[in-house]
Amino acid sequence: MNYPVWLLDVFGGGTLIALIAVVHVYVSHFAVGGGLFLVITEMKGLRENSPAILEYTRKHARFFLLLTMVFGGLTGVAIWFTIALLSPSGTSSLIHTFVFAWAIEWVFFLGEIVALLLYYYTFNKISSRNHLILGWIYFGCAWLSLFVINGVIDYMLTPGEWLNNNNFWSGFFNPTFWPALFFRTFLALMIAGLFGFLTSVNIKDEAMRHKMVRYCGLWLMAPLVLLLGSALWYKAALPPAQQEMIFSASPEMKPFLTCFVFISPLLFGGGLLSAVLRPQAVRRSMAWILFLLGFLYMGSFEFMREGGRRPYIIHDYMYSTSILKADLPEVQKKGVLQTARWVKNREVTRENRLAAGAELSTILCLPCHSTGGPLNDMLPIARRFTPQGMEAFISGMGTANPYMPPFAGTREEAVVLAEYLTTGLVPGFIPALPPAIAPLTVAPLPFDPETSEYILLAGPTIGNFLSSEPEKSGIDMSYGSPVLRAQLIFRDTSPSVILDDATVSYRMQTGKGMIEGVLAAQDGYFEAVLAEMPTPLQPFQPFFIAELQAEVKGKVVAVTQAKIGFSTEIGCRNCHGGRWRQDGRGGLSRATAATILASHDKRSNTSLSVDFAEGKTVVCSSCHGDFSRGTESKAGLLGLSTAMHGFHAGFVADSEGDSCGLCHSTSDTGVSHSFDGIHKQLDLSCSNCHGGLVDHAVSLLKQEAETGQAAKLLSYLQDKGEMTIDYVNPRSAWVMEPDCLTCHVEFQPPETDTAFNAWTEGEEGLFHNRMGEAGAVLCSSCHGQPHSLYPAANRYGKEIGALQPMQYQKSPYPLAADKGCAVCHTVEMEFDMHHPGSLATFRNRE
Amino acid sequence: MNAAQLIPTPDVLQVPWGWFQVLLTVTFFLHLVVMNMLLGCSLITFFRHVAGKSTGVNKAIAGKLPFTVAFTINFGVAPLLFLQVIYGHFMYASSVLMAVYWLSIFAILIFSYYGTYIYSMNYEKIVDFHTVISGFIAGTLLAVAFIITNNLSLMTNIEAWPAYFNNPQGTLLNLSDPSLFPRFLHSVLGAIAVGGLTIALYYDFKKRKGDTEAEENIRTGMKWFAGATMLNFGAGTLYWGSLPESVRLLTGEGSIFFLFFIVLGSVAAIFSLIYGMRYQVRPAVYSLLGSLFCMVLVREFARRLALAPWFKTSDLVVVPQYSPLILFLIVFAAGLWLVWYMIRLVVTDKEVRS
Repeated sequence: MNYPVWLLDVFGGGTLIALIAVVHVYVSHFAVGGGLFLVITEMKGLRENSPAILEYTRKHARFFLLLTMVFGGLTGVAIWFTIALLSPSGTSSLIHTFVFAWAIEWVFFLGEIVALLLYYYTFNKISSRNHLILGWIYFGCAWLSLFVINGVIDYMLTPGEWLNNNNFWSGFFNPTFWPALFFRTFLALMIAGLFGFLTSVNIKDEAMRHKMVRYCGLWLMAPLVLLLGSALWYKAALPPAQQEMIFSASPEMKPFLTCFVFISPLLFGGGLLSAVLRPQAVRRSMAWILFLLGFLYMGSFEFMREGGRRPYIIHDYMYSTSILKADLPEVQKKGVLQTARWVKNREVTRENRLAAGAELSTILCLPCHSTGGPLNDMLPIARRFTPQGMEAFISGMGTANPYMPPFAGTREEAVVLAEYLTTGLVPGFIPALPPAIAPLTVAPLPFDPETSEYILLAGPTIGNFLSSEPEKSGIDMSYGSPVLRAQLIFRDTSPSVILDDATVSYRMQTGKGMIEGVLAAQDGYFEAVLAEMPTPLQPFQPFFIAELQAEVKGKVVAVTQAKIGFSTEIGCRNCHGGRWRQDGRGGLSRATAATILASHDKRSNTSLSVDFAEGKTVVCSSCHGDFSRGTESKAGLLGLSTAMHGFHAGFVADSEGDSCGLCHSTSDTGVSHSFDGIHKQLDLSCSNCHGGLVDHAVSLLKQEAETGQAAKLLSYLQDKGEMTIDYVNPRSAWVMEPDCLTCHVEFQPPETDTAFNAWTEGEEGLFHNRMGEAGAVLCSSCHGQPHSLYPAANRYGKEIGALQPMQYQKSPYPLAADKGCAVCHTVEMEFDMHHPGSLATFRNRE
Repeated sequence: MNAAQLIPTPDVLQVPWGWFQVLLTVTFFLHLVVMNMLLGCSLITFFRHVAGKSTGVNKAIAGKLPFTVAFTINFGVAPLLFLQVIYGHFMYASSVLMAVYWLSIFAILIFSYYGTYIYSMNYEKIVDFHTVISGFIAGTLLAVAFIITNNLSLMTNIEAWPAYFNNPQGTLLNLSDPSLFPRFLHSVLGAIAVGGLTIALYYDFKKRKGDTEAEENIRTGMKWFAGATMLNFGAGTLYWGSLPESVRLLTGEGSIFFLFFIVLGSVAAIFSLIYGMRYQVRPAVYSLLGSLFCMVLVREFARRLALAPWFKTSDLVVVPQYSPLILFLIVFAAGLWLVWYMIRLVVTDKEVRS
């Protein structure tokens, strides 16, 4: 924000600092441990009166001098140059906080140089006593350098009380100072042994070589045991946030953690083997293998330590984007482009959107990401996203992915950045044009109010079924089978619902041809489960039109049509990549499925990708219970809806209540328009009833709060929703839903537009199971299906969403609206017997 | 674009800026002396090898170069640290603008450093490569000097900063600054002068220990010193002429000190030149050290004047914490004592063997 950003492209994402830092840290630890190695080995030579050992020490000192003083010293300077280039604000903060610590370290550095030069150049030239004093002074200065640097480095990871008092000493002697100091000291001694191998395997005299290799083996193995003890202490001293970041929250840490754990016994075993095996070729190879293992060991540790700070450069104080935590709210309010200094496009215009997005990317993304490089490459991530998915991801950063900082910009900046990252950054990205929807003509069936004795009312229990087409995608995350319901009403001044001696059948055209069946009589209605999931129509169409026919005593008495919303527009690809499988409009592709499963495997230690690769279909509800499919969760696992919403709420921010459309088929820019009822016509959104995604997820997670990862996921969502977590009422998916009467109290016009947080109790309270006060007619028979309440209309046509009202009363409004009681009663009625207000004139006309 | 908007906000200080200014000035002076010895001696040996004068002077210099590199780097760390405390918000910005070159310094220095070890440890074995290797050392050190000169001038050349928007890859140099090359030339000639005087001083020690051939080498060193110093009066004048008007007009705060130290430094340089031409080594050394110290102060005042339109050190906010400073001063004193102790330990060792 304060400084220009060096555009590094492939060398970004920490590649540069990793290259320089790991090499330097390896050598600089050698510079400490190797110092002690020199004096102890020289003392051994003197004690044993062994000119051979002393000569080995002298030669090792020369190697030590050339490596540590030249390469070690300069790569140390290089680290400072590098961090100042990559994070000038962070470096400036460190310099200003610890300037005198650095100055003290410089004095020790001076002491090291003088001592080491004198030590090497006076070998065999001054008394042993004085020579050893020089060696000890060197080691003392080197270890004190480590002492000082350790304080500053661990301050970045665990600043502790410094955050409250800004006191130099609080920051320096921070919570992990002492364990880190011991850890690094033992590491330094161990590394001295590893470097000792490199020189001792070249001793010409075999007996001496064997002796010194064994001696170096001790230097490797003894500190290693102590190092592991101090590692546990180090871990225990880490505050919970940093511990979680290293050991669980950040999947990127896993390889380094594994590497560290596995290399420990390898090093120990290698040390033992080197001491035992005598053949020179084997020993020499072993020395280099151990040396490289030590390098990996060091690198793994440093990556973990650095990773533990995420998303900060100085924990809990300065984000990796160089924005101070305390400044974030102000920056979010004003915007990054207005706040940052090195910005060309302060205002976003139509002409500069991509350029402004690029500047935002430079300021906010490039501090951690490379473009096309080996570390933290943005390109494969960006390739997966659509602009909409990316925008939601950006806005939700830092929630379930706590290694990312919260997005620092405004909503407009999130949109612009998302556009750049997807359409500007990714080579060859072809922006998806809003699909053209051709209106369909479906004429309502005829109905003669004068002669018809019956009316048939029918529809699915849910407004829209979402299908992942398991046989094609390889993942089955579809809803339970659609249920078709119908009520046959005998028209009369006192009408009745007919079940006896009546049959209702259906037929509808699907992608696999015509399917047909009979609805079974239930308590007050007929019902059929479309057990075999219908295949979507080709070309893409997000619904079927079912034709229903009622017979009484073998005679056809009524026919009607019902729209069954059935969409394959399941939006995983917005964030998981891949293309639409069908017509560029719908269908989960196998490419998308593969990414989803890989992500699941990475985060939950599963091997679903293997099953998928073997051609098996992964059925989500086989582990995560799904009420709509009648399955139970495996022990310790969340229900499917809870897992899906609970997990994704941390990644996809509520962008004004429309984030549902990223996954569900409700987006205005999509092709299904599954939410098209009267509430949509009134510009209400999903969140008016279901809550924003976070609140929605919280309600589900609270219901399963004791299960699996619920507590962890809830912790991510703390303070992220519009409602405080404590006030959100728990609910079970599919069973406890928003209640219409929350807004329409006593069936009256609403006084609020928020139905969230008051749930129906049990299945009987669900809209599609409810009946009016007369106890005969299902709410859905007159009002249509949830999400498609009459008058429903979308870009496929106005009549398709209201086929039955149009058939029976030539208007799209709920059945019997505008005092149209005659549709069943054959005459006008004076009492609103179905519910209060049922005789009122329909309010929300076009 | 208003370049002033690009200047970052500085961080707060723990003690008043004057402390850092004193530490910066003193440690930079130490760095400057050793660095000039290194660069100057490297250039002189190279020129001597080119001229076919591969005498003992070259060998003596070769043997000392690795130490000089070590201390040049060490003495460079401290002023760089204190510079960052006061002027970090300028320097970090300019460093990013020329990041590729700036970061390459350490790689180049590694090559130079190893070059000096190859040159010194194998002097007799690589006779045929003396010119190449000394040229390599001098060339790489010159490259480092040029990069540093670029950065230290770019950090005060705020008007050049908007060039970043056309080149954010870190490959900018401050070539548009008319003072860049005169400044560089002035520095390099100064280094050669110091290098020459170092050779003279080294042989002056030898002469006092009875080395009869030292006199000739003193003359050699003094010739280099005098020649480079004379040329440097011209380069210094050129440098003065290339400075921004805001500095040259002497109207800014501290201009009087700026002028005073220029005059004092020039007078000291004239004295050192006179002593040099008379082969009076030690008076020349003292005069030159005085001149160098004055020029260090001139440099500090020039930076203040150049940045005056945008920044004053007195504007820096201080949130006092003195205990770290006190500890540093104690450690610094102890460190100097330790260095003295170690040298004494070696020098007074009764078993010392050749």
